[in-house]
Amino acid sequence: MTAEAEKPNIITSSLDFIVNWGRTNSLWPFPYGTACCAIEFMSTEVGRYDLSRIGSEYVRFTPRQSDVLLVSGTITYKQAPILKRIYEQMAEPRWVIAMGACACSGGFYDCYCTVPGIDNIIPVDVYMGGCPSRPEAFFDAMFDLQNKIKDESYMKQRAERVKDQLEMIKAKTAEAKACAKEFAHEKVVDIKDFVAEKEHEVLKKAQFWKE
Amino acid sequence: MKTVEDIFSALEERFGAKREMLDKWGMTVIVSANYLHNAAQFLKCESDIKFEMLVDIAGIDYLTYPNHEGPRFAVSYSFKSMSNAGARFRLKVLVSEDNLSVPTISDLYANANWYEREVWDQFGIKFAGHPDLRRLLNHVEFVGHPLRKDYPAQKRQWLSTNDYLLPELEQRLEVLGYKVIKRSKEVETNDNEFLEGSIKA
Repeated sequence: MTAEAEKPNIITSSLDFIVNWGRTNSLWPFPYGTACCAIEFMSTEVGRYDLSRIGSEYVRFTPRQSDVLLVSGTITYKQAPILKRIYEQMAEPRWVIAMGACACSGGFYDCYCTVPGIDNIIPVDVYMGGCPSRPEAFFDAMFDLQNKIKDESYMKQRAERVKDQLEMIKAKTAEAKACAKEFAHEKVVDIKDFVAEKEHEVLKKAQFWKE
Repeated sequence: MKTVEDIFSALEERFGAKREMLDKWGMTVIVSANYLHNAAQFLKCESDIKFEMLVDIAGIDYLTYPNHEGPRFAVSYSFKSMSNAGARFRLKVLVSEDNLSVPTISDLYANANWYEREVWDQFGIKFAGHPDLRRLLNHVEFVGHPLRKDYPAQKRQWLSTNDYLLPELEQRLEVLGYKVIKRSKEVETNDNEFLEGSIKA
């Protein structure tokens, strides 16, 4: 037994698979509840339906610690900047679920004060119908989101990120070089002026002494 | 003056009020804007059935109302009696488009403050003498008055930043005896928060 445990335990896998496995099975939601859909979310979360079966047991009430933004309810124009700010505060990777008719399209509020769908403000990954959506629909949306995350490639995203960073570094370097050149040019011009002035002075002095 | 009928006759005598025939409960009186404050004071303090509670203030736009003659707007005040159970009364002021102004009754009824702000927000009727006439429901950058019949119902207006409520808060603190010496940088509005396609106020 001890000998077996001492043997190296190694599993070979791709990094994509491992990362996606971790992400799909611990989606922590941030409930942005403004209307009746939030009540349905509560019933999804607790005992009877039990969202923790798919690893989303922690409802995080801070955007810093959550992965999924659940927009459940009507979003008015007064509410829109707050929603955008909350979305920007979330750390990458982040996903958004639009729950219910109001969040998807404005619902039956076809009026001056309601945002016609939150996709006008932030990108949405999964849309969910219903007024309000049933917990089963919510589970379906979570499964859809999990499938979507499984399709993502961590390595490709990382490569893109590195490429972006490289380009940014190159651009910054070029900018800095141009800046330095200009600065040097200015310096040279200054020195030339200075030398010319000095020469002029020296000439003046020489003339004075001659006289 | 034990019944609502007596109040009607008293209002007719004192303030030249007219009875509104369209009201099917027969409890509405039309007064001119000049006598509104006096009529409200009469209903609150002097009449035998005292109407201590202001239930609602509603704006009315008669633009598309069938067979309507007269001024375009109206403001309707609903009162309820607490001492005499079940007694209700309604005052109505007709407001023409040329002079969109009604005296405030927020000194008599404290809750009239927010009702009048709402009517101003949705209909654009000004309340003369109101202590703090700002928008209540719509955001600060909103242009126009959405419950008017000529406002396009599906016209949407984006808000570029959230309402900045700090000055009002500081004002209230100063009333309570505090003084704000320095405002921290984090609470100042930020240009990056402005949404695309919005009007910068």
